[in-house]
Amino acid sequence: MLKINNLSKTYIKANKEALKDVNIHINKGEFTALLGQNGAGKTTLINILAGNVKKTQGEVEIGGYDLERNELETKKIIGIVPQEISYETAFTVEEILKKQSGYFGIKNNKEYIDELLESLALQDKKKAYGRELSGGMKRRMLIAKALVHKPQILILDEPTAGVDIELRHTLYQFLRKLHKSGTTIILTTHYIEEAEKLCERVIVINHGEIIADQPKDKLLKDFSREIRIEIDFDWEVNIDAFDFLKEYHPKVEDKKRISLKIDKNDLTKILDMITQKNMKFVDLNIERQKLEDIYLQLIRR
Amino acid sequence: MNKSLIFYNRIGFLTLLHREIHRFMKVYVQTILAPLLSSVLYLGIFGGMLQTREVGIEGVNYLYFLVPGLATMAAILSAFQNPAFSIIVQKFQNTVQDLNSYPISDIEKALAFILGGTFRGLLVGSLTYLATTFFVGHVIQYPLLFVLSLTITSFIFASIGLITGLLLDSFEKMNFVLALIITPLTYVGGVFFEITKLPGVLSKIRYINPIYPLVNITRYTYLGVYEGNLQLQLLAATIFIIGFFLAAVYIFKKGYGIKID
Repeated sequence: MLKINNLSKTYIKANKEALKDVNIHINKGEFTALLGQNGAGKTTLINILAGNVKKTQGEVEIGGYDLERNELETKKIIGIVPQEISYETAFTVEEILKKQSGYFGIKNNKEYIDELLESLALQDKKKAYGRELSGGMKRRMLIAKALVHKPQILILDEPTAGVDIELRHTLYQFLRKLHKSGTTIILTTHYIEEAEKLCERVIVINHGEIIADQPKDKLLKDFSREIRIEIDFDWEVNIDAFDFLKEYHPKVEDKKRISLKIDKNDLTKILDMITQKNMKFVDLNIERQKLEDIYLQLIRR
Repeated sequence: MNKSLIFYNRIGFLTLLHREIHRFMKVYVQTILAPLLSSVLYLGIFGGMLQTREVGIEGVNYLYFLVPGLATMAAILSAFQNPAFSIIVQKFQNTVQDLNSYPISDIEKALAFILGGTFRGLLVGSLTYLATTFFVGHVIQYPLLFVLSLTITSFIFASIGLITGLLLDSFEKMNFVLALIITPLTYVGGVFFEITKLPGVLSKIRYINPIYPLVNITRYTYLGVYEGNLQLQLLAATIFIIGFFLAAVYIFKKGYGIKID
């Protein structure tokens, strides 16, 4: 659905290399998170897809169309929700969405516009001007605007920045529904938890380079070598009794519970060592690493 | 063929054109009534003051001389302001990049902005003429040619307005162009006086002033009388139409002001 090959971008004026030989292939229907710090190159990448920024090198193919040779066809395939809230001050929500449909060659789109406004809880703001909307409503209007032409790929650039928790969850629900209906979604976000909850695939970009691109589960699995385990015993524990596990930094968490930080491959070995000491344990809790921890590990490398 | 130069999306083009007209119609007090009022004031003040002086074409009532000049000036200013203002507002609102996301070719986009401005110029120019009929009555010689002349004038200045909007990034800069280039050129372009009656260098400016032939052609369609060489002025107008339009399309295609290098 989206093929990016050897894409590079150097901003001429600022003499800044924003993207270095980026390769990304995204399949139809995938829900991908694009993670990276501020200035990592996420927005540059999106702006190239949107046609706002001219690429320096490489090829981009959107829905089978080359971005350079068939630029106009590629526009119909993507919908972009920009990072910054911006809207036409002269027109109402309904006028903006009607015009947006027209720009994409759709003459009468009233039904779909109403449907979008309904699912984004904006139906009673149809006649309102942008300035009369709250921050969250403006965000939702931008999402509706990006969707009026039913794009096959929806790209959201930090859509939940500064959005309250309730609205964030409404948006999650909406995106899940959209994903189910077959839309390919690319989401950039600073809330890693969001990527963990929603996305199937994670791409991490750092200093303009892709440093990770994997299915989320595989990334979590591969990177979760270090795990934290908690072991419950049926007797009150004493830290001195766990001297034999010193290299795993045992900590007493509760009267009958200790925690250890271990390599997951050592789990059996550790449990064996405990059993050999005739220490009977009653419960075992394994905490895997969160995407956030992995993300931090990756960008600190 | 290059995709930016074809007609690709008719509905998209018409929507963008409609947007350009819808936008100024929403604020018609500023965009239509205000220039009309200033034209009528010009007619009252200049017309009244200068009627007895010989500043117009000999043998022609000065008020009649003035009407086509005012209509042309109103058309020029309105046509220029529409796309220039529209693009700069979009830059200010941060929505100008949206233009890059539409499946509309560059020539369609440029034409939509230019025709939006042309429509406003023609509307304000024609209404100026109608308003003046209350004072001077109907004396128009070739009504259809008059409308055509205002259309051509508006098209040229809408193209210049679009170029200005794309190249500049603030209202201050746009006002600079308007106040220090366009408006002075209308004053030495034959709106109020017969150019050859202006002293020295002010009279010579007509050779490089695109407003001069346009005012003259409009005046001819209104009065049936003209100054200078009409054929040469028609040739100049044709060159302006093609030249400024192509320049506007080129600037759109290059992405000045809306795409980042």
